[in-house]
Amino acid sequence: MSAPRPSAALAELSAQLPPGALLSSEAELAAYAYDAAHDRARPDGIVLARSALDVQRCVAFCAARRLPFVARGAGTNLSGGCVAARGGLVICLARLDRIERVDADAMVAVAQPGVVNLDLQRAAEPLGLFYAPDPASFRVSTIGGNIAENAGGPRCLKYGTTTNHVLALEAVMPDGRLSRFSLEDEGPELLSLLVGSEGTLGIVTRAWLRLLKRPPAVETLLAGFDSIDACVACVSAVIAAGLVPRALEAMDKTTVEAVEAYASAGYPRSEAVLLVEFDGESAEVERSTAEAERLCRAHGAVELRAARDPARRERLWEGRRGAYAAMARLAPNVRVEDGVVPRDKLPEIVRRIREVMERRGVKGGLLFHAGDGNIHPNMVYDERDPAQAANVREAGHEILRACVELGGSLSGEHGIGLDKREAMAWLFSERTLELFSRVKAAMDPHGLANPDKIIPLPGGERAYLPPPARELSAAARRLAAQAAGCAAAGRAMRARGAGTRLSRPLEPGAALLELSELSELRELDRGNLTATVEAGILVRELRERLGRQGVFTRLPDVEGTLGGLLAARPCAWLRDEVLGLRLLLADGGVCELGGKVVKNVAGYDLTRLLLGSWGGLAVILEATLRLYALPQRPPPIIAGGSRQPRPYGPWARQLKAAFDPGNLLNPWLAD
Amino acid sequence: MGELLGRLSTDLGERSTYDASSQCSRCGYCEQACPTYKATGDETRSPRGRNQLVRLLLEGKLEERASARRALETCLLCSACSTACFAHVPTADIVLEGRRLLADRPWAGRALSRLLLRRRPLFELLLRCANLAKRSGLSRLARPFLRLAGLRGLALADEHVRRAPRRFSPELLSEQLPASGRGAEGRPKFLQFLPCGTRYLFTEVALATRRALSSRGGSRPLNSGCCGLLAYNYGELSDAREFARQVISQAEAAAQAEASLVVDCSSCAAFLKSYPQLFLGDPFWKARAEKFASRVRDAVEVFDEPAARAGAGVVTYHESCRACHGQGLKAPSRLLSGFSAFRPLEESDSCCGGAGAFSLLEPELSEAVLRRKIERIARTGARLVVTSSTSCLLQLAHGLRKYYPSCEVRHVSEVAAAHGSTTGA
Repeated sequence: MSAPRPSAALAELSAQLPPGALLSSEAELAAYAYDAAHDRARPDGIVLARSALDVQRCVAFCAARRLPFVARGAGTNLSGGCVAARGGLVICLARLDRIERVDADAMVAVAQPGVVNLDLQRAAEPLGLFYAPDPASFRVSTIGGNIAENAGGPRCLKYGTTTNHVLALEAVMPDGRLSRFSLEDEGPELLSLLVGSEGTLGIVTRAWLRLLKRPPAVETLLAGFDSIDACVACVSAVIAAGLVPRALEAMDKTTVEAVEAYASAGYPRSEAVLLVEFDGESAEVERSTAEAERLCRAHGAVELRAARDPARRERLWEGRRGAYAAMARLAPNVRVEDGVVPRDKLPEIVRRIREVMERRGVKGGLLFHAGDGNIHPNMVYDERDPAQAANVREAGHEILRACVELGGSLSGEHGIGLDKREAMAWLFSERTLELFSRVKAAMDPHGLANPDKIIPLPGGERAYLPPPARELSAAARRLAAQAAGCAAAGRAMRARGAGTRLSRPLEPGAALLELSELSELRELDRGNLTATVEAGILVRELRERLGRQGVFTRLPDVEGTLGGLLAARPCAWLRDEVLGLRLLLADGGVCELGGKVVKNVAGYDLTRLLLGSWGGLAVILEATLRLYALPQRPPPIIAGGSRQPRPYGPWARQLKAAFDPGNLLNPWLAD
Repeated sequence: MGELLGRLSTDLGERSTYDASSQCSRCGYCEQACPTYKATGDETRSPRGRNQLVRLLLEGKLEERASARRALETCLLCSACSTACFAHVPTADIVLEGRRLLADRPWAGRALSRLLLRRRPLFELLLRCANLAKRSGLSRLARPFLRLAGLRGLALADEHVRRAPRRFSPELLSEQLPASGRGAEGRPKFLQFLPCGTRYLFTEVALATRRALSSRGGSRPLNSGCCGLLAYNYGELSDAREFARQVISQAEAAAQAEASLVVDCSSCAAFLKSYPQLFLGDPFWKARAEKFASRVRDAVEVFDEPAARAGAGVVTYHESCRACHGQGLKAPSRLLSGFSAFRPLEESDSCCGGAGAFSLLEPELSEAVLRRKIERIARTGARLVVTSSTSCLLQLAHGLRKYYPSCEVRHVSEVAAAHGSTTGA
């Protein structure tokens, strides 16, 4: 056997690590060149880290030598996220696989990043608890990877994606420092920025995760429909009725037929098959299932089956679980596309997907998490035929463009990685993309952490432009002009709503950006249960106005404006209610973040980052909120409403410089 | 480069080795099924990694071909990955093709399979000498010298194997012949294949199989040679084919030309069932191999009948890889239900690390896999663990002695023979 010949630099690193930790033979480099997606690139070395200290040593080493590094767990990424696009070091976290603690009373687990999702589930189960995120890869994928991609799964309809279950993180930052981020930290919500950042802002070495009580009862309903339209109409009716299933999964006939040929799950051979699952207290589950059953019938369900005991429920799920498997047998490769549309656009996107597949001669089945509009076309091909591979990739991109045109997003749970980075330019404006780049540069000035991911490469051709954003209201335009004027004059600014929160007197010479005229309810989408609202509206007034329309928000009943509430973040759970933001930047420019879909992992989660930023990063002009069909009782506000802002911590200060290079917005926050 | 099979029988039909390895879509769902990946967290020790490396070798995209050697050598060939894989990519066969491509076979394995094929009397004589040396304690004294001579595997073998039968199973079985049962037409219903493991080491298993079969229609031993698995895994394909042709011919020539062939080692049973794959390019032998394979029955299948109730403390079951992954057989639950205190084993279908000669060739990795297995066995509190392959019997006996001595290991046949069948003749 020829001895591995690490380059001189890596040999130096090797000396700092336990023996055998550094891999660098050609076969080893080849085995770490791929993940579960299409792209491949060989790194220069791989470190099998055994401790956070190993990770820190690797990152510090790379930082000192300007060597790119990529974190990797199980390597099941579906967007090329753990491929070393620019070479460098792969830092493998699979051996950091200890569950350090499961606290049944606090319902918290502390886990290293290499813990396999299933192993955490197994550790929680005997304590009557469970960890909610359940990506399809849960048997093999790791907690670290789930956090990096903000992984979802069928259950996230009710429980939310990974980001909703992360309470705190410890991460090795691109400069080699070990930092801790918690939901309880004051200031901009950095924790959510890290989740879903695909390893481009740091490497998680320890996670504090929320566990939930195992529901006493679960019931599953399977229904067949004669058309996708009928199936989607039924899904919308279930949600409009205020029912909260934990999963609403649909699949099309092509998928059903592939599954039946492989595993004969006994599914109805109808155009669409829907699975609805409820969990909770027994009586409540029974009521919900009965109501869902009634709605299915009302929407013309051709076949209905319900099951409560685990074995029978599992049988109903068999076909859904076997769907990817069945496709994987049809050809060597499957492109698992991942896009999101507003729920009511599902029939339209299905028609367009079929049109694309037919026109391009691509064979594929459709799976979707119907409750949140997340679609997964599974297209089969043989990667050894470059023409076929290119055709399927193009088909995937066409489908994503259709998602964007229908008001959706590029990814619900798989991330952007390498595969979709060019597509980011179809969804986000130049301004927003630039903001993403600045955020990345603020955290990782030398661009070493998983470089060339998420953001389109500079100089790329923009063959397709995102649909234009809605026009600003007249009041917002005036505000933008005022901010541009201040920026040109180098004058400090402070956004002010109802003036209920910030008690600090206005700095001499600073301008007030009054938000009180921003009071429009800009869009109410009942079908999709979202509302886009201007930030100057009083929270109480908003609650009333929505209530009069028969829809409800979970925002707390508090004084002051919506913008003020979001900027102050008196409670952590606010993050679950905000789907998107429109920001006024310090130079008077405007940019859009997030959107109308409840599940969206395209780009950095700046929406949540803005929560708690006290007007120091940008001014919130509009927010898109999640609505409910029934009145909601908001959880208690833990932090007092009168809490005053404190100057930002070091990472938030760096981000402030990225958002507001002239330090004009509430400059004292950077003191 | 050694001779390759070139074409494999896969779950999706007959494929070239290249197509079979390319069927891996790199989804990674196999990784947690792989004992060596779980022990190391290293992609090159995973089924996906190994498939990709063989594919690169076949594509000529690996310049330092030898750098793939360790990844392929460390595969247990347990096939747990193929069970986990949606397309059932036959990783073990692909890895073996990779080893052949790199001409990477241990010399001892090649020599041993040659000896078995061409000079069996000599082999048996040598074995008798070795057993004599073992019984006299001489081999124990020789261990340090073997290690010094670079024969660590032999020293380990001597350490792991605590058996040195004076007589081999054909001789013992022939003494028992009159006691064997008779079927309806006055002829034994089964042929009993004599795997090397129960022929030379676990002779009591061969006797137990015989006893257990006697109440089920009777049996006659098929005194053929080795099944050829040794040559397939560690030697030349041409030798493996030669073994296969001998076994097939002898089975065809037996008085009971249609009778089922009962095999009390799951590794051999799985290999006998896979004979057609050796002859994909040879229609004449392929047809004979298929007919032969359809007659092969693992003891796990034959003895899965309700047994008389027995209490012997807690009992658990380790599924031999070549039974569950190699043949798709389930644990013999009806037989096991005869134990009043049966407790299922966690990860029961995960390899014990024995895997043929693996425990001798890759002792460190094998030990890591073994420790996990013994720990799971200990968690059940078992006094007895039942299994079905010679390699597992050896490995588990070694592991139990070392880490959990209050438990012992027995073959399925021994359980079936001891408890009898409630439905048997």
